[in-house]
Amino acid sequence: MPNNATAQTNSIMHPRYGCTVGAAYTVAAIPGAIPIVHCGPGCVDKQFFILSGCNGYQGSGYAGGGATPSSNIGENEVVFGGANKLDKLINSGVKIMNGSLYVVLSGCSSALVGDDAESVVRKYRSDGKPVVYVDAPGFKGSNLVGHELTVRAIIDRHVGAYSGRKRKGLINLWAEVPYFNTNWRGDTIELKRILEGAGFSVNVLFGPEAGGVEEWENIPKAQANVLISPWVGLDIVKHLADKYRQPWLHVPVIPIGEEATTKFIRDIVAFTGIDSKKSEMFIKKEASQYYYFLEHFADFFSEYWFGLPSSFAVVGDSAYNAAISKFVADQVGLIPAKHIITDNPPKKYRESIRKIYMELSEDVSADVDFIEDGYLIEKKIRETHFGAGVPLIFGTSWERDIAKELGAILLEISTPVMEEIVINRTYIGYKGALTLLENIYTNTVNGF
Amino acid sequence: MAKKKTKALDLKLANVDSREMRLGSIISWDGSASELVEISQYEQRSRKHSGSGCGVPCGERGKSCRLAELNMPFSQQTMCAQSIVACQIGNITDCILIEHSPIGCSAYHPRFNFGYKVGLLRRGKKLENIRIFSTNLQENDMVFGAGGKLRQSIRDAYDRFSPKAVFISMSCSTAIIGEDIGSIAVEMEKALGIPVVPLFCEGFRSKHWSTGFDISQHGVVRQIVRKKRKKQDDLLNIVALWGTDYFTEMLAPLGLRVNYMIDMASFDELAQASEAAATATFCHTLGSYMATALEEKFGVPQIDAPQPYGVAATDEWLRAVAKAVGKEDIIEEYIESEHARILPRLKKLREQLKGVRGFVSTGSAFAHSMVEVIRELGVDVEGSLVFHHDPVYDSGYEKQNTLKHLVDNYGDIPNFSVSKTQQYQFYALLKRANPDFIVIRHNGVAPLAAKMGIPSFAMGDEHFPLGYDGIIRMGDALIGILARKKFNNVLKRHVSLPYTDWWLSQEDPFILAKHPEILDEAPTAFDDFKEETYAK
Repeated sequence: MPNNATAQTNSIMHPRYGCTVGAAYTVAAIPGAIPIVHCGPGCVDKQFFILSGCNGYQGSGYAGGGATPSSNIGENEVVFGGANKLDKLINSGVKIMNGSLYVVLSGCSSALVGDDAESVVRKYRSDGKPVVYVDAPGFKGSNLVGHELTVRAIIDRHVGAYSGRKRKGLINLWAEVPYFNTNWRGDTIELKRILEGAGFSVNVLFGPEAGGVEEWENIPKAQANVLISPWVGLDIVKHLADKYRQPWLHVPVIPIGEEATTKFIRDIVAFTGIDSKKSEMFIKKEASQYYYFLEHFADFFSEYWFGLPSSFAVVGDSAYNAAISKFVADQVGLIPAKHIITDNPPKKYRESIRKIYMELSEDVSADVDFIEDGYLIEKKIRETHFGAGVPLIFGTSWERDIAKELGAILLEISTPVMEEIVINRTYIGYKGALTLLENIYTNTVNGF
Repeated sequence: MAKKKTKALDLKLANVDSREMRLGSIISWDGSASELVEISQYEQRSRKHSGSGCGVPCGERGKSCRLAELNMPFSQQTMCAQSIVACQIGNITDCILIEHSPIGCSAYHPRFNFGYKVGLLRRGKKLENIRIFSTNLQENDMVFGAGGKLRQSIRDAYDRFSPKAVFISMSCSTAIIGEDIGSIAVEMEKALGIPVVPLFCEGFRSKHWSTGFDISQHGVVRQIVRKKRKKQDDLLNIVALWGTDYFTEMLAPLGLRVNYMIDMASFDELAQASEAAATATFCHTLGSYMATALEEKFGVPQIDAPQPYGVAATDEWLRAVAKAVGKEDIIEEYIESEHARILPRLKKLREQLKGVRGFVSTGSAFAHSMVEVIRELGVDVEGSLVFHHDPVYDSGYEKQNTLKHLVDNYGDIPNFSVSKTQQYQFYALLKRANPDFIVIRHNGVAPLAAKMGIPSFAMGDEHFPLGYDGIIRMGDALIGILARKKFNNVLKRHVSLPYTDWWLSQEDPFILAKHPEILDEAPTAFDDFKEETYAK
């Protein structure tokens, strides 16, 4: 056995993601779509907590939380099979739950007892009913794995084949994972605002500004896919490239701040070849407003007598970890001290993620650790040298204890988030960068 | 004090029978409270040592023994027994729980951590994160088995935290693939020299999560509670959850100290349970198994009384405790002075709450108490909901029959339903009872009430309404809850529900159990979905 006081083993304490069935929340984020889970009685309830209830108190919305249909597999189904119960659940569910698309996710128990859940769903599909099946046992991996599987299943089994024309200027946006990324709602609104401001039409697919199942049916018409994430979603855009001949632009780091966001807009405009007149006007207006505020903020930053943090650590999923690390190192000028990525990216993507940290800013690079276990994360943070000033930690609720121990400022930016209420806030783009600054330094000045 | 009890608990086996097997518990029923008292046959069930589990002699299988349930074809997410084990055993301050499962089974931990920290604060203990391990099983483990990973995690827990004991919880997947946590527990107990306790709490095992309480308590009584005894005559065990410590002040006149179990207790606090003068609880649904196990294994008597909520039950409870510790001489005076003390405030609250209608939606025995408290305050209760119903508790003690106590002392509840946090039924239930507020525990149903314009009192501190002062606290809090109707009415005006008009038009929340054929005629949602919008 490895030296378990220091080495990562199979053990995980303080989980920071859910399981495959957590993709019920990918479905619940599509307006009008209803997840139906075929698993044990507590499975999707637990996913609710780590993805929503304990992640900024995002709420259950329309079809999440207590509304989510679940077969609640019991002893009888384990012994005799659960297909019949699933059949009853779908049959009644499509009459009780008011939806336009139903996505059935089957979990561990169903897979291990060998239910043919797919056949049950196929029956409804062949009757022309919009019901999609996803094989999603929790032992397959995290909710991020589930997210990709579920998106692909909806595209393959509901959206289907398309050979028509593409609409120039229409793009599909693949960015944060609904519910999992704590600020996904506010961030998606900001991304849509930016892309529309630059002259695009956008299928945002998830959240308050999404167009429901109809918008999903428009995915094949888009000119291109834009993926803003270090790794989650790469499978999706590659699949779409094959399926609908759509090119994709990979933006590994979510843009925060004027310089990154402006570059992001210009990259997409260049990639798609749309006219840049509108986007340049938009950039000009946004930049002017951004620097108006930054100029005023600069007084505080230059003249505050009572101490500011100088070094920071980030503990969180790769998307938010990279974005915050980049902005804070490159645009604010704090010193990167420790970066721990907690969402278990597949090995094949880890080099490209490391590279982001090698190039955080001119002359600034950092190492990155991939750790999922809270005990080892806490140990790493405890051993981190934060230099002068109060330590600044971007992390999760699990880092409360260590933050207290070190007298650090903690901003919760990745699930679980239990000490902050998140409604529509964004930390990205033009507007979100300013809110992020507000929150970092509010926590600095109210720390007495 | 003791009437005869149900069949003795089997503390030799590591395994616990589910509530439906032991007690005949149900999760779906509709009728009046008095009717449920009658068909539960509490006393008959408690009197017979018939060996049939629930205590009522089974004639034709399922006939006299089982309560008829309303089986609905549709169901929504709920909670499982493995979660309950995490929020019980995972809350022992110096022991470690290891969940032998894929990571998703541990996704509740952030919520349990928050509750645990609040509990530590309330009990004046050191604030720190919960420490529950997951063995984090993968697809390969399902094929090849995962005993090695379980051993590794037990070692990790031991090396990192030096726990006083390690518990292992089973999940659906590890139960189905046949992981032998019992043998591994024995092996690791020998290797480490601390108790290693296997808990067979896989979610599919019981139709109700409360079996998880029994499994947790079973493990504690079997392997943690001390066998050698030195009697502590001034110690009262209280089987509790995370509630504020109001018991201490309530028991002060009797000179008793409180030993809270299981949440936020240390190994030593649990171990001393055998030495206490008696065991009581704030909720027999929660505490009866533990109280009965301590009584049968260690001879610690339990308090034969309802739960101390509302005036009548608090009186009876205090008398029973006084009797158990030989202080009957002082209790009547105490009770009388307490009545006089709270009366002016109670009268005022009754005036303020006159004409207000309430609805309770919580776990079983606790709900009975909550109805007593709000009726004590003059609130009208036409309907209520329990998440399951135990026709008898493990003790079988007559005066612990909380539902009967409610009906006898505060009258019937015309619409008393059993439904396991099924939100889709909640709409018709609330329409029928038309309350001004609801009292809830657990998640899942309040968000629907919120959109119907009904504010909820989330009873996160289950001791809040306790005893005489609790009635006043509750009344004061309700005034604040009722004011929130403003917020709920805003929601009601602008947000719509995820259910079809067809379903919302059903007046009977259990109609599909009685007439499943109406489903065949019902319109399918998506046929006309596009004409509607999900947001008004």
